[in-house]
Amino acid sequence: MNGMRIAWRVTRLNFRAQLEYRTEFLLMIAIGAIWQVSVIVFATVLLTRFTGMGGWDSSEVLLIPATRMLAHGLFVLLLGRVHGAGRQIQEGRIDIYLTRPMPVYRQLQLAFFPTNAIGDLTVAVGLMVGALSRSQLDWTPGRISYLIAAVIGGMFLEAALFTAITCAALRFPAADYWSRWLEELLGTFGSYPLNVLPKAVGGLLTYGLPLAFVAYFPAAILTGHGHDTGVPYWLAAISPLLGVVAYLGSRVLWRWSLRHYAGVNG
Amino acid sequence: MPGSIEVRGLSRTFHTTVRRPGLAGTLRSLVNPERVAKHAVSDITFDVAPGELLALLGPNGAGKSTTIKMLTGILTPTSGEARVAGVVPYQDRERNARNIGAVFGQRTQLWWDLPVRESFSILRDIYEVPKAEHAARLAEFDDILELSTFWDTRVRHLSLGQRVRCDLAAALLHDPPVVFLDEPTIGMDVVVKEQVREFLRHQVEERGRTVLLTTHDMTEVERLAERVVLINHGRLVLDGSLDEIRRRFGSTWQVRATLADAHTDVVPLPGIAVLRKEGPQVVFGPESPDGPDSPTVHQALKAVIERYEVTGVAIDEADLEDVMRAAYVHAEPATEAV
Repeated sequence: MNGMRIAWRVTRLNFRAQLEYRTEFLLMIAIGAIWQVSVIVFATVLLTRFTGMGGWDSSEVLLIPATRMLAHGLFVLLLGRVHGAGRQIQEGRIDIYLTRPMPVYRQLQLAFFPTNAIGDLTVAVGLMVGALSRSQLDWTPGRISYLIAAVIGGMFLEAALFTAITCAALRFPAADYWSRWLEELLGTFGSYPLNVLPKAVGGLLTYGLPLAFVAYFPAAILTGHGHDTGVPYWLAAISPLLGVVAYLGSRVLWRWSLRHYAGVNG
Repeated sequence: MPGSIEVRGLSRTFHTTVRRPGLAGTLRSLVNPERVAKHAVSDITFDVAPGELLALLGPNGAGKSTTIKMLTGILTPTSGEARVAGVVPYQDRERNARNIGAVFGQRTQLWWDLPVRESFSILRDIYEVPKAEHAARLAEFDDILELSTFWDTRVRHLSLGQRVRCDLAAALLHDPPVVFLDEPTIGMDVVVKEQVREFLRHQVEERGRTVLLTTHDMTEVERLAERVVLINHGRLVLDGSLDEIRRRFGSTWQVRATLADAHTDVVPLPGIAVLRKEGPQVVFGPESPDGPDSPTVHQALKAVIERYEVTGVAIDEADLEDVMRAAYVHAEPATEAV
């Protein structure tokens, strides 16, 4: 309980600190939104030029980037400091965190307030509203619950991937570049129904880098394409759960990596 | 034991890969890397008693920071054992963290974007310090470190001296019995250095805290530490008092005496040799500089004055920096207690 109170307090203070630099604050929000320009362009082109993609109609496809973006925005807001944590590691801040009676992972997340998440989330909410308003689906409580679970699961899956990279960054400074590559990959392929890609690429983005579980599979389940994903229906359906499991696994890996932390700068 | 530090055979080895020379060597290293073990700390044993300030000295790369990192729970040793206030730091990191304060001179533990006072109050919450106790301690620290003139400033806008003073306060706000200071005054001006030294003296003498200090500033060592541990190449070279270090490595003292009677028959004194005699001027020096019973310059001075009638006296003594330079250069990497 004390931990949650401290986390909330530090977040509030960090947010207030960001607000005091007004121009910087607004720029960060703008950067968060502009960063998603490829998704906005994708959605615009999809709706104005195409009727569908890979057997999905446009309104169904739109649910994929909307889910992914919302999951991503929440990730950036709540757990996103693991992205680019290599800098905190190289600056020796992990050493400081290790001398405090508080979990290191939590301290890493509380290092600063991610103002750019406001931009990310603004685009994401806009996209989700657009996707839902164009959707022909019957939004039953079950579907709505699954969508919420998918967004949360997607957030955890993204956090799991970046946490795993941060574990590597504890030992190998170059691992931070993988962080950037992963973000690029999520942005590039996260908006498409993966059945439009060659099978090998789709397989890689399912079993190699489990990008398909963030939004593609959940959207397929919601829109009735769950049997055409190339994986068993049940596997696609448990995507939200897999996100949570992957995150828990990444935290175990984090604890192990921290025990084997060898420090930086002597 | 509360406030004590016990180190027994502590070692830490890092494994790195060595790149072979040339393009072919580089490619070979990529396929078949050659791994080498670097023994940053090897079999170090020492104790720090509660309320004692110990200076852990050594040249750059000697293993000082690695030792401190193991004692603060940052690193796990390869072998050996350490207890800080009765806790094994690398096995029970969070409990150890409650017993220690740590200042790393080149890194801050404060929140970069927040005013210092906000950082202090976050730390108060983390360590669960009662509000009244926190306020009283902050007032005490403010008296010596003059924090209130800048504690409403964001950390990113502080000067180095201000920042380190705040870090010192932050490290002690939860009243830890043991404090680790890794080069706390690096880059500070002389006024702030003195302020920090006074603060540390106060914490040791009045509050009874145990302090383990690493520094390259020998004035700091002279003013604060009675005992030093010298490590080099990861090994403990010497564990003793400053006098013992001077005796062992500071062999360059000379006592220049002007005798009242130039014709006095001058003979060597126990442990003291006559280096030169020119009229009434006699220069004495240590007979056996490396000997365990070699007198210090002050003992020699006393002996000369007691034995001869002198009208003037001057001493030339290597300062601690010269002594440490000699120690760093000559210290063999073999464990030895003086």
